[in-house]
Amino acid sequence: MARRGSLSDSDSEGSSLSDSELQEAFARGALKPGLNVVLEERPKRRNDAGGLKQCLADFRQQLAWVERLDVTSGQVVDPASQGAADKDAVDPENDFQREMSFYRQAQAAVLEALPRLRKLQVPTRRPDDYFAEMAKSDQQMQKIRQKLKSKQEAMERSERAKQLRAMRKYGKKVQTEILQRRQKEKKNMLNAVKKYQKGLSDKLDFLDEEQTSSQGNKKGSASQWIKKGPNAKRRYKNQKFGFGGKKKGSKWNTKESFNDVSSFRSKVAHNKGPGKGGKKALNKRPGKRARQKMKSRAR
Amino acid sequence: GKWRNKERVLIFSSRGINFRTRHLMQDLRTLMPHSKADTKMDRKDQLFVINEVCEMKNCNKCIFFEAKKKQDLYMWLSNTPQGPSAKFLVQNIHTLAELKMTGNCLRGSRPLLSFDPTFDKEPHYALLKELFIQIFSTPQYHPKSQPFVDHVFTFTVTDERIWFRNYQIIEEDASLVEIGPRFVLNLIKIFQGSFGGPTLYENPHYQSPNMHRRLIRLSVAAKFREKQQVKEVQKIKKKGSKVLIEEDPTEVVFETPAEEKPVEIQLVKPESKPIVKDKKKLRKFQRKKQKKFFRTE
Repeated sequence: MARRGSLSDSDSEGSSLSDSELQEAFARGALKPGLNVVLEERPKRRNDAGGLKQCLADFRQQLAWVERLDVTSGQVVDPASQGAADKDAVDPENDFQREMSFYRQAQAAVLEALPRLRKLQVPTRRPDDYFAEMAKSDQQMQKIRQKLKSKQEAMERSERAKQLRAMRKYGKKVQTEILQRRQKEKKNMLNAVKKYQKGLSDKLDFLDEEQTSSQGNKKGSASQWIKKGPNAKRRYKNQKFGFGGKKKGSKWNTKESFNDVSSFRSKVAHNKGPGKGGKKALNKRPGKRARQKMKSRAR
Repeated sequence: GKWRNKERVLIFSSRGINFRTRHLMQDLRTLMPHSKADTKMDRKDQLFVINEVCEMKNCNKCIFFEAKKKQDLYMWLSNTPQGPSAKFLVQNIHTLAELKMTGNCLRGSRPLLSFDPTFDKEPHYALLKELFIQIFSTPQYHPKSQPFVDHVFTFTVTDERIWFRNYQIIEEDASLVEIGPRFVLNLIKIFQGSFGGPTLYENPHYQSPNMHRRLIRLSVAAKFREKQQVKEVQKIKKKGSKVLIEEDPTEVVFETPAEEKPVEIQLVKPESKPIVKDKKKLRKFQRKKQKKFFRTE
């Protein structure tokens, strides 16, 4: 924003600018598009180098280094950085880089000064039993510690939640994989059985296959599982709703199914069996004719 | 040992400072055991009155905070009887009490001062360096000081400004933690005398905060004015006289009228088209279902 002004500053000496001058300036690239704001510039900036040096000479105190403890140093050369040339390239806008450069400068100073102090017998490490007032009160330090702890806890919590989510996803994936594998095995098994039944292959290899494959995966639990079969609930549901897909062809009026009277229970049909709690006897509703007769008789 | 280096710094401010400045002042007083406090100075008095105040308190250095417009903070560093003084604009203040500054140091321990190599390159920076050293270093064997050296002040020149940081030295291998406070000094002028006298140096990169705010306002206004100007120009263009174009006799050269068709009168009803069922069109109940589904989506 200030750029707009300072660029036009260079050719705003005269009171009025002619169009040709403006065009020339634009061609040169001195003018940027948009409205240019004219800035007045201070005529001169005082820089009295001689005076400064004189003043410094008067002002300087001749003290021993131990009184002043000043160190002028460059930065600690970071092995990751590019070296001395990097210092000039520190971008003041890049906060992290800037703060790191300050940190490195402080480190360099400390590394230079500590040996000197040790030589002069100035203590730098506080002994553990030396208790004195600190610049920040204990209360303040407690607050800081609390804040750090809470931040760390929050991070840990989020990490744990993320891991749990990932694990659940993974678990789901594993589960679906296992189910698919089982279904595949079952299909293969059935196909092999059918083939044998149809007489295409008269080898009973599939039984062995099953053994080896199951042993390959899980030994003990797999055999148990095969023995028990599905859950009782599962078995009931299979019975009731079928395996899906097979329902359509299951009830044909074929000769066999017609002649098949195995599911006939005479006691149930003639209502002679032991009623379950006598419900049937209680809920026996008379037939249509009987009801109509009752109705007409009642009238 | 005997306390020989009799440095005393007076730290005080003018009226109208805000809480952050007040805390910064208090922090500086905590960190510098050789400092003295004073009441707020009235705005009416001129700046050279500060010299007398310092003499009364028997101080030979001074840090004076001046707040203007309740927004801008200026800091004067001065060597009071005759020495040089400097005026700075202070920005980006963070105090000791901020929870991100996790370090701590002994109250009154002596600081190590670390300077950028840039401070040796220019005469004005060299003078400033000397001023900083004399003000910020705690004299040895000062009665309120602690004999340990456990923190370091850094002064760095970046982006034409002086950045101040305070780190705690934890280990001998120079691992540091920031204690605070931290601020940025933007040099305005260096004077030969204390709070007055001829100007020795003026910072060409310094822009007063008023000027800065004014420029921002002007640029925003300029943008708006530019838009308006463009609009006006467009309006004028639109309203401008519409030029009447004369009739061009050569326009009709290529026009060929179409052939006249004979007039046909239909006496017999045309055959009805066979109804072809559109298999892609859904039946009514399917269409209704789709609509329902679409509505509930």
